[in-house]
Amino acid sequence: MSDPARILIIEDDAVTAEEMSGILRDAGFVVAHADTLPAGLARAAADPFHAIVLDRMLPGGDGIDAIDTLRASRAGAMILMVSALGRAANRIEGLDRGADDYLAKPFETQELTARIRALLRRADPVAEAGLMQFGALQIRTKARTVHAGDTHIPLSPREFDLLVFFARNHGDLVTRMQLLEHVWNLHFDPQTNVVDVHVSRLRRKLETAMDVPVLHTERGAGYVFDPLRPAAEG
Amino acid sequence: MHLTTAQRLAAAIAGAVLLVSALALVTQYVLVKRDLMARQTTLVQADLAGFAALYDQRRIIAVRQAIEFRLAQDSTADMAIALWDRRSEPLAGNIQNWPPRGMVVPAEGATTPVQFVTLGDQPYLGTARMLAGGFALMVARSTASMNAVLAQMRRLIAAALAAIAVIGALTGHFASRWILRKITRINALADQVAGGDLSARLPGPADPDEFGTLQRHFHHMLDRVEALNRATHHLSDTVAHELRTPLTRIQARLSRLNAGNDSAALQEEIRSTVRIFDSLLEIARAEAEEGQGTALPLNLSDLLVEICELYEPLADTLDIAFRTDIAPAVTILGDRNLIAQLISNLLDNALKFSPPGQSVTVSLAADDPRHLMRVSDTGRGLPPGFEAHLFDRFARADPTGAAPGHGLGLALVKAVALRHGAKLSLPATDKGFAIEIAWPKVVET
Repeated sequence: MSDPARILIIEDDAVTAEEMSGILRDAGFVVAHADTLPAGLARAAADPFHAIVLDRMLPGGDGIDAIDTLRASRAGAMILMVSALGRAANRIEGLDRGADDYLAKPFETQELTARIRALLRRADPVAEAGLMQFGALQIRTKARTVHAGDTHIPLSPREFDLLVFFARNHGDLVTRMQLLEHVWNLHFDPQTNVVDVHVSRLRRKLETAMDVPVLHTERGAGYVFDPLRPAAEG
Repeated sequence: MHLTTAQRLAAAIAGAVLLVSALALVTQYVLVKRDLMARQTTLVQADLAGFAALYDQRRIIAVRQAIEFRLAQDSTADMAIALWDRRSEPLAGNIQNWPPRGMVVPAEGATTPVQFVTLGDQPYLGTARMLAGGFALMVARSTASMNAVLAQMRRLIAAALAAIAVIGALTGHFASRWILRKITRINALADQVAGGDLSARLPGPADPDEFGTLQRHFHHMLDRVEALNRATHHLSDTVAHELRTPLTRIQARLSRLNAGNDSAALQEEIRSTVRIFDSLLEIARAEAEEGQGTALPLNLSDLLVEICELYEPLADTLDIAFRTDIAPAVTILGDRNLIAQLISNLLDNALKFSPPGQSVTVSLAADDPRHLMRVSDTGRGLPPGFEAHLFDRFARADPTGAAPGHGLGLALVKAVALRHGAKLSLPATDKGFAIEIAWPKVVET
């Protein structure tokens, strides 16, 4: 990444804010913090930010009511709501009210960085032109086909959606919750790791055709899609 | 016929009043009749004794004169007196034939008991004595006037009972209508509340009677339920905030420690804790919102297909046959996410309790008045006696803890189903476990 992305955290709990700042700085972002809603709005209006991490229950109001104001003052900034109101209904409400993503507290470190990265990618879409290419792997999003070189890889519609989500976040960690939310539109955490089975199937199909590892498992966290990794390493 | 409680009460009161009145009147009648009979009996016995005594002292002539005199004195003409000789020839009195119909002939010197006889087709109460020398003497009094009195009394009793029955029925009817109206008001309120409108109240001031008290109690109870409901909502938000914030700090610091396996295990513990209270909050919220209805139409068929598709590969890996029979375009009113979670919990359970080689079947059928969704498996089924606790929070079929989970899955299934007005049942199966959810059909308006 050329210029580090700037991120504003609007969060009243000092310890949480401190930890979030630390996590995001470690991940290579430039971080600013505001601890009340009015202060956050003022800061967002004054300086440009690529993403805003917005709490809900804040001194000065509910962050969800500030989404429209933030959008008006800082168009282009992606908004990630991070809230203790973590029931599925709360998440859906947040997304309906205009948040770009919604993360419930408590969250895992990787979950926060993964979601911020995914949001920054969405904010700055590389011209896809209907074709995404990773080495020999070609994904045609309009025709919904996948090829390894000249070999067609047959995928189910859901597997295709899964692959596209991975491809759009290539090189970055993608968590199970992200997959459930974006690929299946489900906002709860099932007891069994159903997602893992789907990822395994997709991986098997891709790697049979590609002969190189495509999907890497990050233990306990999620997956990284990077067909070019072994080539880069040697 | 179906009777309301008020009607039953009215009928019982009217019936009791009628019964008591009838008993009193009939008793009165019997006493009067007995008294009249006794008086007649005494009169005829006294008359007979008088004539017999006269015969003993003054013989036939005197008796004949006395009889004629007595008959002449009888202005009401309801006396019959006669004397016959040993050939049954009448010597005096107003009866020709001896013995009259119904009269037993007494032995000489003996007297018959007072008995009913028929004289000239009229009923009489009489007694006879065979005087010394074979003269038969009889004294009788007509029972016509007594019977007339008794008949009159019977008519009066019948009329009185009929009047009491009518008045009782009318009073009962109006009383029951009056009570019913008051109860119906309160029932209508209860229906409204059961329908989810906790803020419903009866308009106007409460009556100054027991129904007014009932109404006030009911209102107090509703105020309390409403307050509790609000408190539940507030509590779930507060609990969420107060518990999640420290957990967030713990988790963030934990990741800083970067202790490898231990850290990952602790992260997983936190995740699991969060999942438990997420489930509890969802259950509490769904229960609090029970019957409130959702206005959003949901294509249940599509959602079920999606979730089945999510679980199908897992079943495949577990070597469990996964079958679906889902009717298309079944629509209900509901919250997509809650129902997705319900289906997910059912499939989780079905797969969890089915050993390899078994099968899980999911079906959905459009029906009237309810759409039937069924998830069944040929797995281990329920341990005996577990059915009663199946939907309780933290109820686990496998108490050893070998199977993952916290026993909240079916509690949430139940809360979500009731939240949507659906009915849960456990159809009998030869093997394994089956659960059926009957979703209310969308009423077209």
